[in-house]
Amino acid sequence: MRKETREYKFDWMLWNTFLAASHMKNGTDKEYRSALKYIPYFNRILEAIFSPGEPGKKFLEACAKYAENIVFAKERGHKTAVTTFCFSPAIFYAMDIVPICLEVLTVMMTFVYRRGTAEFLDYCNEVGFTETSCSSQRGTVGAYLAGIGTDVDMFVTDTPGVCDTNANAFSFAAVYLNKPFFQLDMPPDLTDSRTNEYHREDFRALIRFLEEQTGKKLDPERLKENLLELEKQDEIIAALEDLARLVPCPLPVSYNFMIYASRFFFAGTPEGTVVLESMLKVARENAAKNISGLSGGVEKLRSFFCYIDHYAQNMQFWNMLDQNGICYQGNILSHFWSHNAPHVAHYHKEEAAYKINTGNMDAIIDSMGMINSRMPMVKSIRGPYDAPNMWLEDTLGLAKIYNSDFIVYNGTPGCRNTWGMVKLLARDTEKAGFPTYIMYADAFDARVQSWEATEERFMEFLKVRRLV
Amino acid sequence: MIKQFFEASTVINNKYVSQWKKNGKKVVGYTCSYVPDEIFHAAGILPFRIRGFGSTDTTIGDTYFGPFICSLPKCMLQLAGEGKFNFLDGAIITPGCDSMRRLDECWRKAGGDIAGAIPPFFFHFGVPHKFSDYTIKWFTDETRRLIAAVEDHFKVKVNNADLKKSIKLYNKSRALLDRFEALRTMDTPPFTGEEALVVIIAGTTMPREDYNALLEKFIADAEKSPGIKDRVRLMLVGSANDDIGMVRVIEGTKALVVADNLCFGSRFYTDRVEEEGDPVFELSRRYLGHNDCPRMYGDYQRRLGILEQKVRKANIDGVIMQNIRFCDLHGAENGLFERDLEAKGIPCMRLEREYGPLVETGRMKMRVDAFIERIQQKRRAVA
Amino acid sequence: MFAAGCDVGSLTSKAVVMKDGKIIESVIIKSKARPWESADEVMNLVLSKAGLTMKDIQSCVGTGYGRDKISFINEAVSEIACHGKGARWLVPSVRTVIDIGGQDCKALRLDDKGNMVKFITNDKCASGTGRFLEVMAKVMHLNLDELGEMSARSRQPITFASACTVWAQADVIQHLNDKVPIEDIAAGVNNAMASRMSTLANNIGLEKDVCMTGGVAKNSGVVNALEKHLGIRIKRIRREDPQLAGAIGAALFAAEKVSGGAK
Repeated sequence: MRKETREYKFDWMLWNTFLAASHMKNGTDKEYRSALKYIPYFNRILEAIFSPGEPGKKFLEACAKYAENIVFAKERGHKTAVTTFCFSPAIFYAMDIVPICLEVLTVMMTFVYRRGTAEFLDYCNEVGFTETSCSSQRGTVGAYLAGIGTDVDMFVTDTPGVCDTNANAFSFAAVYLNKPFFQLDMPPDLTDSRTNEYHREDFRALIRFLEEQTGKKLDPERLKENLLELEKQDEIIAALEDLARLVPCPLPVSYNFMIYASRFFFAGTPEGTVVLESMLKVARENAAKNISGLSGGVEKLRSFFCYIDHYAQNMQFWNMLDQNGICYQGNILSHFWSHNAPHVAHYHKEEAAYKINTGNMDAIIDSMGMINSRMPMVKSIRGPYDAPNMWLEDTLGLAKIYNSDFIVYNGTPGCRNTWGMVKLLARDTEKAGFPTYIMYADAFDARVQSWEATEERFMEFLKVRRLV
Repeated sequence: MIKQFFEASTVINNKYVSQWKKNGKKVVGYTCSYVPDEIFHAAGILPFRIRGFGSTDTTIGDTYFGPFICSLPKCMLQLAGEGKFNFLDGAIITPGCDSMRRLDECWRKAGGDIAGAIPPFFFHFGVPHKFSDYTIKWFTDETRRLIAAVEDHFKVKVNNADLKKSIKLYNKSRALLDRFEALRTMDTPPFTGEEALVVIIAGTTMPREDYNALLEKFIADAEKSPGIKDRVRLMLVGSANDDIGMVRVIEGTKALVVADNLCFGSRFYTDRVEEEGDPVFELSRRYLGHNDCPRMYGDYQRRLGILEQKVRKANIDGVIMQNIRFCDLHGAENGLFERDLEAKGIPCMRLEREYGPLVETGRMKMRVDAFIERIQQKRRAVA
Repeated sequence: MFAAGCDVGSLTSKAVVMKDGKIIESVIIKSKARPWESADEVMNLVLSKAGLTMKDIQSCVGTGYGRDKISFINEAVSEIACHGKGARWLVPSVRTVIDIGGQDCKALRLDDKGNMVKFITNDKCASGTGRFLEVMAKVMHLNLDELGEMSARSRQPITFASACTVWAQADVIQHLNDKVPIEDIAAGVNNAMASRMSTLANNIGLEKDVCMTGGVAKNSGVVNALEKHLGIRIKRIRREDPQLAGAIGAALFAAEKVSGGAK
């Protein structure tokens, strides 16, 4: 790692970056335009995030707040928990634990820094972690392993049974830094009674663990408050998802990303709700005018990403879609399976969805267990891809309901789970009539395949399949 | 003696299996050491450990699996696609790890394309990733679910009395293998690590009664053999390895693999199943609790302890930690083991390799040689 | 008492004749397809240069990938040990040796007596080995010597997007088409190499003094970039050609065999 990289704690750097970014539009437009000249590596991402208007500003403020919470956790007397994007942070907020979500921090750095998280990725390998592991965790974990982040108190994950490389990163880092570790374990089924019982017991064990780490008892009222706020967020998201069914889709291309980022950061807290409310306002305005959310105003194609996005610097991935008139109809990360989600009703998938019940502590625990069990990835890739409620069914269902023209898979070479079945999925989605493109890029590491090469191949697919 | 073990451990449809089938009996394959074989034994079915050994390419494996996948399940699928597992009447797939669990759908789809490639009984057997009261309960229910499915498909009854008999028999194997282990770790062991692996693997491909008889004889003979002297004593840990050729390359003429902590090795036979109590519960408890696999997250310290104990007991000079390319579970844990064992003065060497046809032997040999030289230099310095 | 070391590598083969701890003669040739042919040729050349025959050599150690196929050696020793031994002779204060050869790269740490404490070699592919540089140099129509000194002339080294040799090659072609100054591309290539190597080297922990052996040690671009990445000074080998480190180490092991013990 270069000496300069070690000079500052990386999360402090990130906080300052996003804080400054969130202030950029506080002055006049002329001031904003002049300032952009001075940030050659950040200006395009700012433009991309500010393009939907107020939601962009709110989103940047939320990102800055998230990083601020991490930086000042100790000062404020809070414990910190390194966690994963598919672990709903609601329980942490209810217990005043500051969540440090690895993958979203990696995304933030990959977007914003010229070299992305290359040094942190490599540092993991230097201390013995395998190079073939998923870059989404490595990109941030490397910084913590090198000791240039905030103090970490514990590692908490829910990916055993869902994603080995993820769970393994947590397990490794916990041993390396000698910190307590807890795993919520996921059986291969989603909806049977044994599974529900298992989740219930597991969640209770989690609460015991967190109580032990914090020295405080969980206040059910706090958790209830959080869940009620989450319910509000779910309604907004359901409304957004419903609007996305319109042709043209009134949602700007970056919306899906903002939905899932807000949910991963601030599930059940007002900071998250504020962003979503702002997004819904703009989306409704667009819908009322029957206009496309794309900046060019003309919707040529509708894409569905069956896995994750590409986080190339400066949001180049979203820009590419936007510039080419391709609206973005979601991915595995932006659907949370609340009972009021449009696809749940449409396909009568109530059993596969969750409903929040805050009646008593048992109901609250069950709700939390269900929510976690239906987080992205945790739901769809815990069992065989063609089993009920798993990846194929979800992908086809969502691609259909959103009238997608084609399906794209993008992930990382570290994703053992999806690479083990993506060819089979693509075979089936092609059979179902959806041209399907498998990208060989790494969403978090442009050294694997440069963005330029990635973009070229993507466009080539569209041309070859006569989609453009 | 070793010849019989050798045939059983290197030939897929070995003579025990073919005789078993000739007698009209059934064989069920399993991919992971978490599956309690005693169940099949109690049902009069031969449990057969599915491996990828013997595959010479992975064209079929690569067709269904994507790239960036460990070659172990690819080789297994390759053999299945080539019809080499057509003698199986069933297969149990376990989510041992992400790569291995996708053998489920990949094999099923290959079975749809290639006639006869998939056995008629195909079962996905879940295994928790941690050991606690509710996970044992879940796993016990899962084991009962497996038993019910076996009974239903094969039209057999697996009652508690049969299970207890099978448990006793398998515990006998484990006791024999303990004696075997003691011989292996002597100052002058009577057999090489390559031979040891042959003996251990053979136990996964033949009827347990025959195996116990052969093993008993083998141990008796070995106890009388002169030992092998003056070798550097190594322990082999890491990803699944059933490739005796690789152990041969590692041992060469200067070293001996006197201990291991491998999935196809001694990992699966230490410890016993309780013979009293509910046999399904006891099987589940033992199989879930004892396995030293990095898939059991958060249990590193216990596994480290096991390695340290083995190093002491077997008087190990150095530990070779290998992982199959893309095996992040073993690969990363090896990194931690290396850090902690080296800190205690135990020389370690990490080695990444491919599973399948034994290639890169030159590269492997060069590193092992350097490691042995390092150990010898250390010995001379101490002397 | 003459001792000899023969190092048969994938790209080059080296032979050294030593007497009383000093080098009498040394030869480096391009390797042939068969290692025994390379060994025979390089050994004959060095003996002829020294005015000696094989009978004059009391002990000969072979190393490198082809070492087991060499008929005239008394013993084969791993190139890792030989590089360590040779590096210690070349730089008596060395504790960490970084060797980038034709097809692999390694890092090793020595104790104060020159014994190996730890070593690591690359696992995956060509990037991070001499092969990477060879491929890039060819695309740029440079020879390997030129590639190294280009870094010093570069104003704005390009950053390679990919770690993969094949794709980096495509990137080089793209840059050439875009008329990027060749020094900048060359510097980028050297930096990419150094970056890959630094991850490996950091894995074993660095202890001063650090030196580089192998052919790539003669590429000042890579060495300077590696120093920056590692944040530690790399002591340049002046005593002899660093590419001879393996053969020197082999000869020293041969001499020890005769004199009956490590010195």
